[in-house]
Amino acid sequence: MKGLKQIWRQYRLNRWFLFLLLVGLFALPLPQFVAPERKLVTNSLLFSFTQMFMLITLASNWNLTGGFTGYVDFGHAVFFGLGAYGTGILMNKLGWPFWPAMVVGGMISAVFAVLIGSATLRLKGPYFSISMLGTFVAMREIVRVSKPLTGGGEGLTLPPYLNRPLFYYITLILAILVVTLIWWIRRTEFGATLIAIREDEIGAEMRGINTTLNKITAFWIAAFLSGLVGGLWAYQNTFIDPDVVFFESRTVELVMMTMLGGLGTVAGPVIGAAVIYWLRDVVWASFFQYHLLVEGALLIIIVLFVPEGIMGALGDDSSTSLGRIMRRWFRESPKEGVA
Amino acid sequence: MRNDNHRIPLLEGRRVSKYFGGLAALNEVDFAVYPGEIVGLIGPNGSGKTTLFDCLSRVQDLSSGQVFFKGEEITHKKPYQVAHMGLARTFQVIRIYRKLTVLENMLLSRQWRGETLWRQLRPSHRQTEERAKELLHFLLLDRLMHEKAGNLSGGQQRLLEIGMALMPDPDLILLDEATSGINPTLIETIKDRIRALNREAKKTFLLIEHNIHFIGDLCSRVFVLNYGQKLAEGTPEEIVNNEAVIEAYFGADGGENDVE
Repeated sequence: MKGLKQIWRQYRLNRWFLFLLLVGLFALPLPQFVAPERKLVTNSLLFSFTQMFMLITLASNWNLTGGFTGYVDFGHAVFFGLGAYGTGILMNKLGWPFWPAMVVGGMISAVFAVLIGSATLRLKGPYFSISMLGTFVAMREIVRVSKPLTGGGEGLTLPPYLNRPLFYYITLILAILVVTLIWWIRRTEFGATLIAIREDEIGAEMRGINTTLNKITAFWIAAFLSGLVGGLWAYQNTFIDPDVVFFESRTVELVMMTMLGGLGTVAGPVIGAAVIYWLRDVVWASFFQYHLLVEGALLIIIVLFVPEGIMGALGDDSSTSLGRIMRRWFRESPKEGVA
Repeated sequence: MRNDNHRIPLLEGRRVSKYFGGLAALNEVDFAVYPGEIVGLIGPNGSGKTTLFDCLSRVQDLSSGQVFFKGEEITHKKPYQVAHMGLARTFQVIRIYRKLTVLENMLLSRQWRGETLWRQLRPSHRQTEERAKELLHFLLLDRLMHEKAGNLSGGQQRLLEIGMALMPDPDLILLDEATSGINPTLIETIKDRIRALNREAKKTFLLIEHNIHFIGDLCSRVFVLNYGQKLAEGTPEEIVNNEAVIEAYFGADGGENDVE
């Protein structure tokens, strides 16, 4: 492991590697334009990458509240869903063009995050997680019964626009922007404040940090960005209904990806999302009926053997584990505050 | 309190009570710290010292009673608002941000009063950083500045916590067993620093301490708690010779209680 760590240290600031990776990703769809008939790059490959970029973005957003701030959100997909439905309704019912619809969809998510977060972010640890899971399930049913607006269980159809290379580029650029934003946040005092809240909320509050304000800010930023991804997802999927948008494993996946990559690191969710996405691709292709079993086993393996994720295993000591976050909350539970 | 009736207390608790279920951790305690004092708070284990600290610094809600800081009622204020008013504290159980560097820990403990969230997106002031480095130098932590705080030894973490309490330049500093686990030479240094801050910068201190020499050397007044009630109050000499205090510490039946 030590040799691996050294290699990592050597390369983690290697801007050339990053640069080449980005150039490669930007160049990937080019054969489609130059020589479409030779099918060097298929639409389905571009589709896979598009999905991966969206997952990277979502996992990075989740990491902002779950990894940095330590508020493990089991219902983050509610913001994805609101973005998808916001965009879908604006395009389908009001005939808006995609771009403004997507941005407004993101804003709807952000506003909802401020409202729901003002209540749920006062809860600690598991109570917060469960309340967000409840919010998520409730929102799915609200969408289902609001038939005149959302189409109910029958769903909504968006104007089809099947340009795979275009979606590839949009999602790639969004992923780059979001990861850069989170990298930048981590370098500012705001990012450090979020980690301080995760590490010791009572101490942070006692040292003059308005923890509620900071938590809500992180929460709505993440919600806005996930809302954008939701809008994009809805448009490239051309169809949304409550079950496909508010799909439970959408959140669980994000948690798993971030945990595998490394909670509270910038690169963690990116690596975790990429690994799990392709792994799942292989698993689904070879033994579809068992995919949940395999994913469950993977989660157990992460928790037991690499609790601080790939980044933690590579020696990045800013990476943390879900157990560490949760343990802190149990230790801080009111009864033990007696002493 | 007797001699200071003409002055307004810096921190005052009036009939402070705190119940945990049926247990009265604090029972109608009246308590005051005056500007410029160094007050010691002692008492056997479980007598309610830390609970009183928590109630005064608003980490815990009171069951009944009132708390005033600088003449303003803070009973229902949030801890961060109290911190902005100039109250800082350390904790008996060390509270630091383990996954942040020592310097980041210090910078995040600066004075936040009147700052917007927007300010947090810009780099920290050079003054703030210089102050942090100077304090770290004093606490012999400057070489560990860029180390993750969780990698420090227990004693170093306690020092860091003291540094974090001094960082915002508060008017009142509450130290909860600040010297436990710190080597004797450094305790002397800390003592000198507290005395200097008190004399020159007119900082007020409230200390929970088991180290009776520390209390005796520094404090002008000592407050003794026992079973959540005020047992005695006076100069260190008076307290050491107080019958009730001796009994509380050593017990009427010959010393079953914890003594340190």
